[in-house]
Amino acid sequence: MAAVDEIVFHQLLHWHHFYDRSTSGVALLSDGLLHTAELLALVAGFFLYADLRRRDALAVGHAWSGAFLGAGAFQVFDGIVDHKVLRVHQVRYGVDVTPYDWAWNLAGLVLLAVGGLLLARARRAGRRRPS
Amino acid sequence: MTTGPVAAPLALACVLAAVVYAAGAARLRRRGDAWPWRRDAVFAVGCAALVWGLAGPVPGGPFTAHAGRHLLVAMAGPALLATARPLTLVLRLLPPGGPRRGLLRVAHSPAARWLLFPPVAAAVDVGGLWLLYRTGLWAAAHRNPLPGGLLELHMLLAGLLFAMAVWRLDPVRGRCGLPLRAVTLLAAGAAHAVLAKSLYVAGPPGTAFTAADLRAGAQLMYYGGDAVEMFLALVLAVQWYAATGRRRARQAAREALPAGVH
Repeated sequence: MAAVDEIVFHQLLHWHHFYDRSTSGVALLSDGLLHTAELLALVAGFFLYADLRRRDALAVGHAWSGAFLGAGAFQVFDGIVDHKVLRVHQVRYGVDVTPYDWAWNLAGLVLLAVGGLLLARARRAGRRRPS
Repeated sequence: MTTGPVAAPLALACVLAAVVYAAGAARLRRRGDAWPWRRDAVFAVGCAALVWGLAGPVPGGPFTAHAGRHLLVAMAGPALLATARPLTLVLRLLPPGGPRRGLLRVAHSPAARWLLFPPVAAAVDVGGLWLLYRTGLWAAAHRNPLPGGLLELHMLLAGLLFAMAVWRLDPVRGRCGLPLRAVTLLAAGAAHAVLAKSLYVAGPPGTAFTAADLRAGAQLMYYGGDAVEMFLALVLAVQWYAATGRRRARQAAREALPAGVH
Protein backbone atom coordinates (compact mmCIF):
# COMPACT_ATOMS: atom_id res chain seq x y z
CA MET A 1 0.00 0.00 0.00
CA ALA A 2 2.69 2.41 0.97
CA ALA A 3 4.58 1.47 -2.12
CA VAL A 4 1.62 1.98 -4.40
CA ASP A 5 0.98 5.55 -3.45
CA GLU A 6 4.63 6.43 -3.60
CA ILE A 7 4.75 5.03 -7.11
CA VAL A 8 1.79 7.16 -8.07
CA PHE A 9 3.42 10.14 -6.44
CA HIS A 10 6.66 9.82 -8.23
CA GLN A 11 5.49 9.09 -11.67
CA LEU A 12 3.80 12.41 -11.70
CA LEU A 13 7.04 14.24 -11.77
CA HIS A 14 7.88 12.63 -15.06
CA TRP A 15 4.66 12.84 -16.92
CA HIS A 16 4.99 16.18 -18.62
CA HIS A 17 4.69 16.65 -22.34
CA PHE A 18 3.63 13.16 -23.04
CA TYR A 19 2.55 13.83 -26.58
CA ASP A 20 4.29 15.69 -29.31
CA ARG A 21 2.57 14.68 -32.49
CA SER A 22 0.39 17.69 -32.00
CA THR A 23 -2.72 18.68 -33.96
CA SER A 24 -4.21 15.20 -33.60
CA GLY A 25 -7.37 15.30 -31.51
CA VAL A 26 -6.66 11.99 -29.81
CA ALA A 27 -3.23 13.18 -28.73
CA LEU A 28 -4.72 16.32 -27.28
CA LEU A 29 -7.27 14.27 -25.38
CA SER A 30 -4.68 11.86 -24.02
CA ASP A 31 -2.57 14.78 -22.89
CA GLY A 32 -5.49 16.47 -21.15
CA LEU A 33 -6.50 13.24 -19.42
CA LEU A 34 -2.97 12.48 -18.30
CA HIS A 35 -2.37 16.00 -17.13
CA THR A 36 -5.56 16.02 -15.08
CA ALA A 37 -5.01 12.50 -13.76
CA GLU A 38 -1.56 13.48 -12.62
CA LEU A 39 -2.88 16.46 -10.67
CA LEU A 40 -5.57 14.34 -9.02
CA ALA A 41 -3.10 11.54 -8.30
CA LEU A 42 -0.79 14.04 -6.65
CA VAL A 43 -3.55 15.08 -4.25
CA ALA A 44 -4.75 11.50 -3.70
CA GLY A 45 -1.20 10.27 -3.12
CA PHE A 46 -0.55 12.95 -0.54
CA PHE A 47 -3.71 12.10 1.39
CA LEU A 48 -3.15 8.33 1.20
CA TYR A 49 0.31 8.97 2.58
CA ALA A 50 -1.12 11.15 5.37
CA ASP A 51 -3.64 8.39 6.16
CA LEU A 52 -0.88 5.80 6.45
CA ARG A 53 1.05 8.09 8.76
CA ARG A 54 -2.05 8.62 10.86
CA ARG A 55 -2.57 4.89 11.22
CA ASP A 56 1.10 4.38 11.95
CA ALA A 57 1.04 1.89 9.13
CA LEU A 58 3.68 3.41 6.91
CA ALA A 59 6.43 0.97 6.08
CA VAL A 60 9.22 3.46 5.53
CA GLY A 61 11.63 1.04 3.87
CA HIS A 62 8.98 -0.26 1.50
CA ALA A 63 7.83 3.26 0.70
CA TRP A 64 11.30 4.36 -0.35
CA SER A 65 11.83 1.28 -2.45
CA GLY A 66 8.43 1.88 -4.04
CA ALA A 67 9.40 5.41 -4.90
CA PHE A 68 12.55 4.30 -6.69
CA LEU A 69 10.92 1.33 -8.37
CA GLY A 70 8.04 3.52 -9.58
CA ALA A 71 10.26 6.25 -10.96
CA GLY A 72 12.62 3.74 -12.58
CA ALA A 73 9.87 1.60 -14.07
CA PHE A 74 8.19 4.65 -15.49
CA GLN A 75 11.40 5.96 -16.98
CA VAL A 76 12.30 2.68 -18.63
CA PHE A 77 8.74 2.19 -19.87
CA ASP A 78 8.77 5.69 -21.28
CA GLY A 79 12.18 5.16 -22.81
CA ILE A 80 11.47 1.81 -24.44
CA VAL A 81 7.77 1.82 -25.24
CA ASP A 82 7.00 5.49 -25.83
CA HIS A 83 10.23 6.66 -27.39
CA LYS A 84 11.18 3.60 -29.40
CA VAL A 85 8.23 1.30 -29.96
CA LEU A 86 5.40 3.78 -30.34
CA ARG A 87 7.63 6.76 -31.17
CA VAL A 88 5.19 9.03 -29.38
CA HIS A 89 7.85 11.56 -28.55
CA GLN A 90 11.62 11.90 -28.34
CA VAL A 91 14.03 13.27 -25.76
CA ARG A 92 15.37 15.89 -28.13
CA TYR A 93 14.73 16.88 -31.68
CA GLY A 94 17.03 17.74 -34.53
CA VAL A 95 20.01 15.84 -33.17
CA ASP A 96 21.11 12.23 -32.98
CA VAL A 97 18.98 10.91 -30.11
CA THR A 98 21.04 7.77 -29.40
CA PRO A 99 23.12 9.18 -26.51
CA TYR A 100 20.03 10.76 -24.97
CA ASP A 101 18.10 7.52 -25.21
CA TRP A 102 20.94 5.61 -23.58
CA ALA A 103 21.24 8.15 -20.79
CA TRP A 104 17.48 8.12 -20.20
CA ASN A 105 17.13 4.35 -20.12
CA LEU A 106 20.30 3.72 -18.11
CA ALA A 107 19.24 6.30 -15.53
CA GLY A 108 15.90 4.47 -15.35
CA LEU A 109 17.69 1.16 -14.81
CA VAL A 110 19.81 2.67 -12.03
CA LEU A 111 16.65 3.90 -10.32
CA LEU A 112 15.14 0.42 -10.67
CA ALA A 113 18.26 -1.20 -9.20
CA VAL A 114 18.28 1.17 -6.21
CA GLY A 115 14.60 0.43 -5.67
CA GLY A 116 15.22 -3.34 -5.84
CA LEU A 117 18.04 -3.14 -3.30
CA LEU A 118 15.93 -1.05 -0.95
CA LEU A 119 13.06 -3.51 -1.28
CA ALA A 120 15.31 -6.46 -0.41
CA ARG A 121 16.63 -4.59 2.61
CA ALA A 122 13.13 -3.65 3.77
CA ARG A 123 12.01 -7.27 3.45
CA ARG A 124 15.02 -8.52 5.45
CA ALA A 125 14.33 -5.93 8.15
CA GLY A 126 10.66 -6.97 8.19
CA ARG A 127 11.55 -10.63 8.70
CA ARG A 128 13.92 -9.82 11.57
CA ARG A 129 11.33 -7.74 13.33
CA PRO A 130 7.89 -9.15 12.54
CA SER A 131 5.26 -6.66 13.54
CA MET B 1 -16.84 37.74 -21.42
CA THR B 2 -17.08 41.49 -21.67
CA THR B 3 -18.93 43.32 -18.95
CA GLY B 4 -22.49 43.47 -20.25
CA PRO B 5 -25.66 44.98 -18.84
CA VAL B 6 -26.15 42.09 -16.45
CA ALA B 7 -22.67 42.41 -14.94
CA ALA B 8 -23.24 45.50 -12.79
CA PRO B 9 -26.45 44.28 -11.10
CA LEU B 10 -24.88 40.86 -10.68
CA ALA B 11 -21.83 42.37 -8.99
CA LEU B 12 -24.12 44.33 -6.73
CA ALA B 13 -25.98 41.13 -5.87
CA CYS B 14 -22.66 39.54 -4.93
CA VAL B 15 -21.84 42.35 -2.52
CA LEU B 16 -25.32 42.00 -1.04
CA ALA B 17 -24.88 38.23 -0.72
CA ALA B 18 -21.61 38.71 1.17
CA VAL B 19 -23.31 41.09 3.62
CA VAL B 20 -26.29 38.77 4.10
CA TYR B 21 -24.01 35.79 4.65
CA ALA B 22 -21.93 37.61 7.27
CA ALA B 23 -25.05 38.83 9.07
CA GLY B 24 -26.60 35.36 8.95
CA ALA B 25 -23.47 33.68 10.29
CA ALA B 26 -23.29 36.26 13.09
CA ARG B 27 -26.87 35.49 14.03
CA LEU B 28 -26.13 31.76 14.12
CA ARG B 29 -23.19 32.37 16.43
CA ARG B 30 -25.23 34.58 18.75
CA ARG B 31 -27.77 31.79 18.92
CA GLY B 32 -25.03 29.39 19.98
CA ASP B 33 -24.50 27.45 16.72
CA ALA B 34 -20.96 26.55 15.80
CA TRP B 35 -20.24 28.18 12.43
CA PRO B 36 -16.52 28.40 11.65
CA TRP B 37 -15.16 31.85 10.81
CA ARG B 38 -13.26 30.47 7.86
CA ARG B 39 -16.56 29.94 6.07
CA ASP B 40 -17.33 33.65 6.40
CA ALA B 41 -13.86 34.38 5.10
CA VAL B 42 -14.05 32.10 2.03
CA PHE B 43 -17.51 33.37 1.18
CA ALA B 44 -16.32 36.97 1.32
CA VAL B 45 -13.25 36.13 -0.79
CA GLY B 46 -15.48 34.30 -3.27
CA CYS B 47 -17.78 37.30 -3.57
CA ALA B 48 -14.78 39.58 -4.02
CA ALA B 49 -13.52 37.32 -6.83
CA LEU B 50 -16.93 37.48 -8.51
CA VAL B 51 -17.14 41.27 -8.23
CA TRP B 52 -13.64 41.62 -9.59
CA GLY B 53 -14.41 39.32 -12.52
CA LEU B 54 -17.73 41.01 -13.25
CA ALA B 55 -16.88 44.67 -12.86
CA GLY B 56 -13.20 45.14 -12.08
CA PRO B 57 -10.27 45.82 -14.37
CA VAL B 58 -8.55 42.69 -15.69
CA PRO B 59 -5.17 43.10 -17.40
CA GLY B 60 -4.18 41.67 -20.79
CA GLY B 61 -5.50 41.73 -24.33
CA PRO B 62 -9.21 41.20 -25.00
CA PHE B 63 -9.08 37.39 -25.02
CA THR B 64 -6.71 37.16 -22.07
CA ALA B 65 -8.92 39.50 -20.07
CA HIS B 66 -11.89 37.35 -20.99
CA ALA B 67 -10.07 34.23 -19.78
CA GLY B 68 -9.21 36.00 -16.53
CA ARG B 69 -12.81 37.07 -15.99
CA HIS B 70 -14.01 33.61 -16.82
CA LEU B 71 -11.62 32.11 -14.28
CA LEU B 72 -12.94 34.46 -11.59
CA VAL B 73 -16.65 34.35 -12.38
CA ALA B 74 -17.14 30.75 -13.51
CA MET B 75 -14.53 28.83 -11.54
CA ALA B 76 -12.72 30.35 -8.57
CA GLY B 77 -15.60 32.48 -7.27
CA PRO B 78 -18.32 29.80 -7.35
CA ALA B 79 -15.96 27.18 -5.88
CA LEU B 80 -15.19 29.47 -2.95
CA LEU B 81 -18.89 30.16 -2.42
CA ALA B 82 -19.67 26.43 -2.42
CA THR B 83 -17.07 25.72 0.31
CA ALA B 84 -18.93 28.14 2.55
CA ARG B 85 -22.10 25.95 2.42
CA PRO B 86 -24.56 28.74 1.65
CA LEU B 87 -27.60 26.45 1.45
CA THR B 88 -26.87 25.01 4.91
CA LEU B 89 -26.64 28.52 6.32
CA VAL B 90 -29.94 29.61 4.83
CA LEU B 91 -31.73 26.45 5.95
CA ARG B 92 -30.50 26.96 9.49
CA LEU B 93 -31.53 30.59 9.54
CA LEU B 94 -35.02 30.28 8.11
CA PRO B 95 -37.68 29.54 10.72
CA PRO B 96 -39.86 26.49 10.10
CA GLY B 97 -42.61 27.49 7.73
CA GLY B 98 -43.46 28.32 4.16
CA PRO B 99 -40.21 29.76 2.77
CA ARG B 100 -38.04 27.11 4.36
CA ARG B 101 -40.29 24.33 3.11
CA GLY B 102 -40.30 25.85 -0.35
CA LEU B 103 -36.52 26.07 -0.47
CA LEU B 104 -36.19 22.47 0.67
CA ARG B 105 -38.73 21.39 -1.90
CA VAL B 106 -36.66 23.06 -4.63
CA ALA B 107 -33.36 21.70 -3.30
CA HIS B 108 -34.75 18.18 -3.06
CA SER B 109 -36.81 18.26 -6.26
CA PRO B 110 -36.15 15.64 -8.93
CA ALA B 111 -34.84 18.38 -11.23
CA ALA B 112 -32.29 19.57 -8.67
CA ARG B 113 -31.37 15.99 -7.97
CA TRP B 114 -30.68 15.45 -11.64
CA LEU B 115 -28.76 18.67 -12.08
CA LEU B 116 -26.66 17.84 -9.03
CA PHE B 117 -25.79 14.39 -10.36
CA PRO B 118 -22.06 15.02 -10.95
CA PRO B 119 -21.84 13.99 -14.63
CA VAL B 120 -24.87 16.12 -15.50
CA ALA B 121 -23.47 19.12 -13.64
CA ALA B 122 -20.15 18.65 -15.41
CA ALA B 123 -21.88 18.46 -18.79
CA VAL B 124 -23.80 21.66 -18.07
CA ASP B 125 -20.65 23.45 -16.95
CA VAL B 126 -17.95 22.28 -19.36
CA GLY B 127 -20.39 21.49 -22.16
CA GLY B 128 -21.56 25.11 -22.08
CA LEU B 129 -17.96 26.17 -22.34
CA TRP B 130 -17.39 24.04 -25.44
CA LEU B 131 -20.52 25.46 -27.03
CA LEU B 132 -19.36 28.98 -26.31
CA TYR B 133 -15.90 28.56 -27.78
CA ARG B 134 -16.50 26.08 -30.55
CA THR B 135 -19.77 27.31 -32.09
CA GLY B 136 -20.95 30.70 -33.24
CA LEU B 137 -22.28 31.39 -29.74
CA TRP B 138 -19.38 33.63 -28.81
CA ALA B 139 -19.82 35.87 -31.84
CA ALA B 140 -23.60 35.99 -31.31
CA ALA B 141 -23.22 36.82 -27.62
CA HIS B 142 -20.93 39.71 -28.43
CA ARG B 143 -23.31 41.17 -31.00
CA ASN B 144 -26.25 41.21 -28.61
CA PRO B 145 -25.62 42.49 -25.11
CA LEU B 146 -28.49 40.69 -23.39
CA PRO B 147 -27.56 37.09 -24.26
CA GLY B 148 -23.97 38.02 -23.43
CA GLY B 149 -25.07 39.09 -19.98
CA LEU B 150 -27.14 35.96 -19.50
CA LEU B 151 -24.06 33.99 -20.40
CA GLU B 152 -22.26 35.50 -17.42
CA LEU B 153 -25.10 34.47 -15.17
CA HIS B 154 -25.11 30.98 -16.65
CA MET B 155 -21.36 30.61 -16.10
CA LEU B 156 -21.62 31.67 -12.48
CA LEU B 157 -24.50 29.31 -11.78
CA ALA B 158 -22.99 26.42 -13.72
CA GLY B 159 -19.73 26.81 -11.79
CA LEU B 160 -21.64 26.81 -8.53
CA LEU B 161 -23.64 23.76 -9.62
CA PHE B 162 -20.51 21.85 -10.53
CA ALA B 163 -18.72 22.59 -7.26
CA MET B 164 -21.82 21.69 -5.24
CA ALA B 165 -22.37 18.48 -7.23
CA VAL B 166 -18.79 17.30 -6.80
CA TRP B 167 -18.42 18.24 -3.14
CA ARG B 168 -21.97 17.76 -1.84
CA LEU B 169 -21.19 19.84 1.24
CA ASP B 170 -24.72 21.21 1.36
CA PRO B 171 -27.69 18.97 2.13
CA VAL B 172 -28.63 17.85 -1.38
CA ARG B 173 -30.42 14.67 -2.36
CA GLY B 174 -28.83 11.67 -3.93
CA ARG B 175 -25.79 9.89 -2.55
CA CYS B 176 -22.79 9.73 -4.81
CA GLY B 177 -19.68 7.80 -3.94
CA LEU B 178 -16.23 9.27 -4.05
CA PRO B 179 -15.20 7.32 -7.20
CA LEU B 180 -17.98 8.82 -9.31
CA ARG B 181 -17.24 12.32 -8.09
CA ALA B 182 -13.50 11.91 -8.63
CA VAL B 183 -13.94 10.48 -12.13
CA THR B 184 -16.30 13.33 -13.00
CA LEU B 185 -13.71 15.83 -11.83
CA LEU B 186 -11.11 14.04 -13.93
CA ALA B 187 -13.29 14.12 -17.05
CA ALA B 188 -14.26 17.77 -16.57
CA GLY B 189 -10.66 18.78 -15.91
CA ALA B 190 -9.49 16.93 -19.01
CA ALA B 191 -12.21 18.53 -21.17
CA HIS B 192 -11.20 21.94 -19.86
CA ALA B 193 -7.50 21.31 -20.51
CA VAL B 194 -8.16 20.06 -24.04
CA LEU B 195 -10.31 23.09 -24.83
CA ALA B 196 -7.66 25.45 -23.46
CA LYS B 197 -4.95 23.82 -25.55
CA SER B 198 -7.09 23.93 -28.68
CA LEU B 199 -7.77 27.63 -28.10
CA TYR B 200 -4.02 28.16 -28.06
CA VAL B 201 -3.97 27.49 -31.80
CA ALA B 202 -7.48 28.48 -32.90
CA GLY B 203 -9.78 31.07 -31.35
CA PRO B 204 -13.57 30.84 -31.22
CA PRO B 205 -15.21 30.93 -34.68
CA GLY B 206 -16.15 34.37 -35.90
CA THR B 207 -13.53 36.17 -33.82
CA ALA B 208 -10.16 37.64 -34.70
CA PHE B 209 -7.87 37.85 -31.73
CA THR B 210 -4.14 38.33 -32.19
CA ALA B 211 -2.09 35.15 -31.84
CA ALA B 212 -0.22 36.51 -28.80
CA ASP B 213 -3.47 37.40 -27.04
CA LEU B 214 -4.97 34.01 -27.83
CA ARG B 215 -1.92 32.20 -26.52
CA ALA B 216 -1.71 34.20 -23.30
CA GLY B 217 -5.43 33.67 -22.71
CA ALA B 218 -5.29 29.94 -23.44
CA GLN B 219 -2.36 29.51 -21.08
CA LEU B 220 -4.15 31.43 -18.35
CA MET B 221 -7.17 29.19 -18.91
CA TYR B 222 -5.05 26.04 -18.79
CA TYR B 223 -3.05 26.79 -15.67
CA GLY B 224 -5.84 28.64 -13.91
CA GLY B 225 -8.06 25.63 -14.57
CA ASP B 226 -5.40 23.42 -12.99
CA ALA B 227 -5.37 25.57 -9.88
CA VAL B 228 -9.15 25.44 -9.42
CA GLU B 229 -9.19 21.73 -10.15
CA MET B 230 -6.51 21.15 -7.50
CA PHE B 231 -8.67 23.09 -5.09
CA LEU B 232 -11.71 20.93 -5.93
CA ALA B 233 -9.60 17.78 -5.51
CA LEU B 234 -8.16 19.02 -2.20
CA VAL B 235 -11.60 19.52 -0.69
CA LEU B 236 -12.65 16.05 -1.90
CA ALA B 237 -9.52 14.54 -0.37
CA VAL B 238 -10.07 16.33 2.95
CA GLN B 239 -13.63 14.93 2.99
CA TRP B 240 -12.31 11.42 2.42
CA TYR B 241 -9.62 11.85 5.09
CA ALA B 242 -12.11 13.07 7.68
CA ALA B 243 -14.68 10.38 6.81
CA THR B 244 -12.19 7.50 7.06
CA GLY B 245 -10.92 8.94 10.35
CA ARG B 246 -14.44 9.01 11.78
CA ARG B 247 -15.18 5.52 10.53
CA ARG B 248 -12.04 4.15 12.09
CA ALA B 249 -12.72 5.90 15.39
CA ARG B 250 -16.20 4.36 15.48
CA GLN B 251 -14.79 0.96 14.75
CA ALA B 252 -12.19 1.32 17.48
CA ALA B 253 -14.86 2.41 19.93
CA ARG B 254 -16.98 -0.63 19.04
CA GLU B 255 -14.08 -2.99 19.46
CA ALA B 256 -13.18 -1.42 22.80
CA LEU B 257 -16.57 -2.36 24.22
CA PRO B 258 -16.60 -5.62 26.16
CA ALA B 259 -18.39 -8.47 24.43
CA GLY B 260 -22.14 -8.52 24.89
CA VAL B 261 -22.48 -4.78 25.50
CA HIS B 262 -23.97 -2.98 22.51
